[in-house]
Amino acid sequence: MAVITVTPQQFTMVHFDAARIAELASDVADRVGLPADLAVTVEVDEKVPLGRTRIASLDPLVVAVQGGAFENAKNLRHLSDHSVVDVLGRIFHRVADRLDPRFADAPDDDGLTLQQATAWDAYAVGRCEQAGFTPQKQRRLYHFRNRHGFNDVADRVFERLWSAPPGSLGWADIQAACDETAAGRESAA
Amino acid sequence: MQLKKQMPPEELARDERFFKFDREARFADTRFLRRSGPARAGRLTPDRPEAPDTARALMHGIFVGEIQALEGAGRTCWDFEIGAGHDDVPFQLKLDMARQCWDEARHCEISVKLSDWMGTDIGEFAENTILFEAACNPDPVLRLTGVNRALEGLAIDVFNTMRDFGIESGDPVLEFCEDWMLADEVTHVKMGSDWLRRLTEKDPDRRERALEFQRVVDKLFSAGGFRGEEDENPIQLGRRFRELAGFTTDEIDELADISRASLREA
Repeated sequence: MAVITVTPQQFTMVHFDAARIAELASDVADRVGLPADLAVTVEVDEKVPLGRTRIASLDPLVVAVQGGAFENAKNLRHLSDHSVVDVLGRIFHRVADRLDPRFADAPDDDGLTLQQATAWDAYAVGRCEQAGFTPQKQRRLYHFRNRHGFNDVADRVFERLWSAPPGSLGWADIQAACDETAAGRESAA
Repeated sequence: MQLKKQMPPEELARDERFFKFDREARFADTRFLRRSGPARAGRLTPDRPEAPDTARALMHGIFVGEIQALEGAGRTCWDFEIGAGHDDVPFQLKLDMARQCWDEARHCEISVKLSDWMGTDIGEFAENTILFEAACNPDPVLRLTGVNRALEGLAIDVFNTMRDFGIESGDPVLEFCEDWMLADEVTHVKMGSDWLRRLTEKDPDRRERALEFQRVVDKLFSAGGFRGEEDENPIQLGRRFRELAGFTTDEIDELADISRASLREA
């Protein structure tokens, strides 16, 4: 079981429970297949109601999350278990990829283009679904289309990334997917 | 059984998928005080990392707004008697409201399908009923001005912004749907402008009260720099379409001034 640390331990601006986040994160880490002894810090910026997330550091592993990412969109300032699982499932799959030598050439999170990030997300969230989580596939397809084009090529590539089995792709495959949709956008234009 | 007149927002019919926005919780949310509102988000453009999710949330807001616009226009058909008295309305006004109901019902269906397209579940975001609250004014002229000029005017701005987003992101479905709904909104605002002038032709005081009510509603939806003509405003003022809908240049300039003042306050 991964060793999860959540900061802050006490939230003052939102009604989040650090222990609950840690419990959910631990379960997600196990289901994703992160190493059992991996130490993971989840840094929640409770001041920001937006939903950006990133891997701030791989060694030691630090995941930075804006508070809105964990928030219940129907109930302001309250934690959504579903959002925690949804967000961390995607990020932890990326972490698992980054620990795989086949992703050694991947830029760090801040260096990813919108196309690269969205293609990688499609692969990551697709595996969440395969692991039994309940992500919004159509939402991810909409994200993908916004970045890769509203055309048949983009839809085919998305489906390929989404349904790829765990451990079957490397960074070169993500980049190849981006190159393929770029060519599709050019021919559509 | 006689149907109730002047139905309050608390009695809007919703199934279990919908969650009402908690305004008290919003005002108690100190994060927004630190962040100074949505103005910091800036114009909705595809190059923003969170743009697809922002568009999804906005589209859900449009969807619930369409439901409330349907309910508001329907209530205006029912709440007032036909006649020439202060609290009455002409039959032709009711016909316009009935036509608007038909438009809004179609917009609800379009919005549901657009939400499916964008991957949004009905009720995924909380519903703010402030639009319907503006449609509860007991004076028919003030109600029509608040709804058809302020709120439907806001709809012009929102649809125009979303249509531009659809064009820039290359999404033909979003672009065409927003364009079609935008055309209807221009008609709705024009109806509001025409009825305001007709019903207050011999009552300048009432016209001024109606326009003041419109300013109050406009200011609500410009709060925090939500709507305006600057790059910092997520929703862009649809100046050309407002002109088509009967707004004078002075009226649009005044709205832009309200928006700029709200942005400075944010």
